[in-house]
Amino acid sequence: MNGVGTGMVEPSGVFYRMVMAFLPNLFVALLLFVAGLILAKLLGFIFLRVFRVLKVDRFWNRAGIREVLARGGVKRPISVELSRLVSWLTILIFIVIALSALHIPFIETVLARTFLYLPNVFAAILILLAGVLLGNFFSRAILIALVNSGIREAGLIARITRVAILVFAVTMALEQLDIGKISVLIAFAIIFGGAVLAFALAFGFAVQPYVKAYLEKRMEEAGRQEGDGEKGDRIDHL
Amino acid sequence: MMKNAVLTKEIRDKVREIGHADIVVGIPSYNNAGTIGRVLGAVREGLATHYPRARSVVVNADGGSRDGTVEMVKMTCGDDVFSPQGRSGGFCTVVTPYQGIPGKGSAFRTIFEFAGAVGASALAVVDADLRSITPGWIGGLVGPVLDGGFDYVAPLYKRHKYDGTITNSIIYPLTRALYGKRVRQPIGGDFGFSGPMARRFFLSEEDIWESDVARYGIDIWVTTTAIAEDFKVCQSFLGSKIHDPKDPSEDLSTMLYQVVGAAFDLMETYETVWERVSGTEKIETFGTPYEVALEPVHANVRGMIERFRLGTSQLADLWQKFLGKEAVSFLKKLAGRGEREFFLPDDLWTEIIYRSAVGAHCEAINKEHLLRSLTPLYMGRTASFVIETEQDDSAEVEEKIERLCLAFEKKKPFLVETWQENKEVPP
Repeated sequence: MNGVGTGMVEPSGVFYRMVMAFLPNLFVALLLFVAGLILAKLLGFIFLRVFRVLKVDRFWNRAGIREVLARGGVKRPISVELSRLVSWLTILIFIVIALSALHIPFIETVLARTFLYLPNVFAAILILLAGVLLGNFFSRAILIALVNSGIREAGLIARITRVAILVFAVTMALEQLDIGKISVLIAFAIIFGGAVLAFALAFGFAVQPYVKAYLEKRMEEAGRQEGDGEKGDRIDHL
Repeated sequence: MMKNAVLTKEIRDKVREIGHADIVVGIPSYNNAGTIGRVLGAVREGLATHYPRARSVVVNADGGSRDGTVEMVKMTCGDDVFSPQGRSGGFCTVVTPYQGIPGKGSAFRTIFEFAGAVGASALAVVDADLRSITPGWIGGLVGPVLDGGFDYVAPLYKRHKYDGTITNSIIYPLTRALYGKRVRQPIGGDFGFSGPMARRFFLSEEDIWESDVARYGIDIWVTTTAIAEDFKVCQSFLGSKIHDPKDPSEDLSTMLYQVVGAAFDLMETYETVWERVSGTEKIETFGTPYEVALEPVHANVRGMIERFRLGTSQLADLWQKFLGKEAVSFLKKLAGRGEREFFLPDDLWTEIIYRSAVGAHCEAINKEHLLRSLTPLYMGRTASFVIETEQDDSAEVEEKIERLCLAFEKKKPFLVETWQENKEVPP
């Protein structure tokens, strides 16, 4: 009986000691988590104020990102969304710190890997953001320039420009995330090269008669206008 | 040497050699070999006729012409250095390349510095592409400065009713409503300045010469600076203005962007001045306007309306960001109308310009995008104006321009209010 009793008591004792040793870690982890929640709330509030002072919403609107986000269902002002992001990042960081305070080897390994990967995620987000910004800026600039030059296909060309820049940004972001590095690059090269080739072939062969007819019509019109005195303006604008 | 100095060593040596001059006449040029000889002839004759006793210098600031402009100047003037011609005065000609961004403004900067360096009492600047300049222009631009004590002399021309449309539909009404002085040709291109006025321009901040002021923005900049800083301003009737067509590579959109952009930038600079101005007043006018024969001008109304329609179909969403829904909705309806019913009213046009100014001020969208997107709107307004004034003589056209100016004046409180509130148009 004594042997059985000793056999049961010893593991219990070990378990008890382990629990007692773990409890302070758990307590610290919980404390860190609660502190993280409070700090997240505080930082969210402070950053919201800072973003408003810096007129981030206005910059976002100007850059055309509000429209892009609205299409994706994000309706709130970007200052609110960014301050929420700050809050959630703070909570995430404190969860990670709290988990590491538990000193569980498996969790520590996973966290280490996650931490090493995080910069890639941020870089990818930045690349995507830059892609959206540049895509909007250049497509708008091209649209205005082409409209001012009287080119009817201005809208189409501007949209193609935006999509091309976005595709390029997505490819770079995926490469940054190490997702299908080679296959993404190959796919990008195939899609882009294919699109260019398709355009060239289409223009060279498939639409040849239409292009010919179109150019002939334009030349005829130009000739007629010359004859009719419908020349360009001779107005001195200044 | 001063921080803003742009004169080359050779020209500074020339300045030392000249010493003092009473009058400087500046001629900015770029590929004007076809006209500059005539301009120089008129200037020299004007100086000899009107100011025979004055020491005068003609400065040609050239932007690197490749058509023999500089050679033409040298051939016309020879190496005359104050040939006394039996009088105490006389004149000489200086040819210098200008430094900085290629453009008329950079040429002006060189001329301003030169005028300051020789201590000129009066400075006149005339374009090198003029075909209608007469010796009387020199008297008209310099006389009010030397005899009347004015600091700034704007030109007043007889022009074809379709000419100067940026002036007539935007710059004149806007400048007049903002600063309260009725300078009819604020961006005429030919001006007279007093010595202190030229010095004021030359001593401007360095970054001014990196902006559109260095290009087409120079004209509105000198005019606005003179008015807003309370210099003594007047205008002088010079007759008709006929000049060579502009370089086709310089498109309308760029011209509009530079001129209107400079006007909007000046609204930022002189915000405290124009916000306080209410009403407008005539300025003193020298010379008596008379009728002159003008060359016919062709206006392609159909082409302009097509550009407007294309703009409306492609840029309406962009315009809505600074013009608002109501205005854009009207523009869309207008785009659907035929040539006979095509009419863009003064009130709406005024609102478009004011809302664009506020849009640029509060950076509703990228400023260059905003300004360049105005081109189709301007085309629409010009087409509407041409249709409206088809049967009008010059006096009737002038009445219509006056009506537009009054619309700008009437709506100014709206501009002041929205500007101060820095309001963006609600999405």
